[in-house]
Amino acid sequence: MSEIAFYQAMKDAISEEMDRDEKVYLIGEDVVGGVYPHTAGLIDKFGSDRIIDAPLAENLIVGSSIGAALAGYRPICDMMEADFILIAIDEISKAGQWRFMHGGVVQVPMVIIGGNGGYHGVANDHAKMVYGNLLHIPGIKIAVPSNAYDAKGLLKTAIRDNNPVIYFWHKDCFMDKGEVPDEEYTIPFGEARIVREGSDVTLVAVQKMVSMAEKVAQQLEGSISIEIIDPRTLIPLDMETILRSIEKTMRLVIVDEANARGGFASELSARVMEQGFDLLDAPVVRVCGLDYPIPGGFLETVVLPSEERIRAGIEEAMARNL
Amino acid sequence: MALNKAEKIQLYRNLVRARAYDRLFAGLMTRGKLQGFYHRAEGGEAPGVGAFAFVREDDYVWPHFRGHAVPHMLSMGIDVRPFLAEHLGRKAGMCKGLAAYHPFSPENNLYGWCGSVGFLWHVTAGYAMAAKWNGKKQIVMASVGDGGTNRGLMHEALIVAKKWNLPVVWIVENNGLAIFVPNEDVYDVDIADIARGYGIKAEVIDGQDVLAVAEAAKEAVHRARDGKGPTFIECKTARFYEHDMGIPDLYRNVPRSKEEIEKLRERDPIVICRGKLLAEHILTEEMIEDIEEQAQFEVAEAEAFAEASPRPDPSLINPSTLYAD
Repeated sequence: MSEIAFYQAMKDAISEEMDRDEKVYLIGEDVVGGVYPHTAGLIDKFGSDRIIDAPLAENLIVGSSIGAALAGYRPICDMMEADFILIAIDEISKAGQWRFMHGGVVQVPMVIIGGNGGYHGVANDHAKMVYGNLLHIPGIKIAVPSNAYDAKGLLKTAIRDNNPVIYFWHKDCFMDKGEVPDEEYTIPFGEARIVREGSDVTLVAVQKMVSMAEKVAQQLEGSISIEIIDPRTLIPLDMETILRSIEKTMRLVIVDEANARGGFASELSARVMEQGFDLLDAPVVRVCGLDYPIPGGFLETVVLPSEERIRAGIEEAMARNL
Repeated sequence: MALNKAEKIQLYRNLVRARAYDRLFAGLMTRGKLQGFYHRAEGGEAPGVGAFAFVREDDYVWPHFRGHAVPHMLSMGIDVRPFLAEHLGRKAGMCKGLAAYHPFSPENNLYGWCGSVGFLWHVTAGYAMAAKWNGKKQIVMASVGDGGTNRGLMHEALIVAKKWNLPVVWIVENNGLAIFVPNEDVYDVDIADIARGYGIKAEVIDGQDVLAVAEAAKEAVHRARDGKGPTFIECKTARFYEHDMGIPDLYRNVPRSKEEIEKLRERDPIVICRGKLLAEHILTEEMIEDIEEQAQFEVAEAEAFAEASPRPDPSLINPSTLYAD
């Protein structure tokens, strides 16, 4: 085991997979210089044919990767900020439909990575959680690591996957250090991690919300026993682990930094209604960003979830009895 | 680049075949049999037939939707019977009945298609990146209508095609109208001028003359194969009917007149090619009749093939069709 930063875990994953498979290449915004450090220096190892600075053209980065993927390559598209992924949402939608529309014959192995998340005061264009926008698209997968170990294992799986995968790293988790094995490992998609066991209420938390939920769970220790689940991938989603937890706790709070409307929390909530209604003793509670653009500066904290709001959400779930 | 006698005859034959298929498709659409919609090729067959004649089997291709890519596929030697089956929504379709109208033939490196106009630019740039990396002198042949050149995507693709010296030939099938919107409402320049501005070799040619298209395309293909980079060819062509069957045939908001269409028909690509090849004594009246007869036989046989196929099995809609292992 070594203790390394989240970004270093990503960099190791990219480097190892590029060593392993010469069809893998990286194309994106400022990947040669590495405006975010997870790609810095890779140019020295892999050269300019495999580490490519694209023009500032998100549609090109993703669209050309569809072509190259259909032709047998395995592109990693580095979009810098996750917000910029939305510029290429039509290309992502096409990547997701391509195999299906053509009879399930061809495949589009590509990874799109971008940094999401707020809490840095940089406002809506550099702080959104855009996986909610993408959840609606058939044919793609979505990975949302919350720590260095998952960052590496999920990215390696993403690169080996034969489908379009959108991989989000969180800008507030990016420098966090964590234990990562020295030996080779991957993490299968669709396997949630039980971050903390508990018996009174289940918290499903995504990315930065995992550590925030852990803090709240510690604060409430002795009064409320909280089970925290990190889904790690949103498509596919490990409903089995989530439902098993609700079977025990009978209460669910979903903590998602994204704004609530039409997002992951709404989707999970609906699925729990469909598949686990009888297990619940209280209505599902969503603790999410408010349905506003994310303000820059100090007012950001009004819109984004906080420890206080998570605590309030837990109390709400505990107070109700169906 | 000069064409030989056999190539010229084949180009003429493919124009005639393309027209026969176009009329078959139009008839099937009128009878409510064709799935989706149909964008008639008649009058605009020459760019597809001429440009796609010189691609190798391992080259990457993206055909324009005019005539639903049948002119292009015929020119490449692709069996279009499964495409017709697809268009009738049948199991024997190129996409097993899931796409209605997507040309798809992975064995010919036609890795699919999509219905968003102008989507080709980046995908074909990606094909060209792959072709360059493969080191097998593969090239990309792609075509698009004039409307599809309006998107910003074109500019992004032109930037990298030049800078990265990509082996790609882009054909613009400019029939003067994007649905109802005339070229002159969009551009004050030829579309080729835009590519030229990026330093790309670009030309404007007579898109009603299949021989001119083929000569230009043949040269461009050689250039790309020789590592000399992208070429952009704007073919000025025509559309004898409305954009897609069933909508009005307007110029802006005014119906195109019979006289206007008659004038366009004076430059029918089949008539032009036939005239030239007769004058060059490459074709005889007997050969012309023979080619026409064979084309009629071919489309009748294709229709029978497609009609014989059952509708697709709904079990096709399952996770393994959506996701690869």
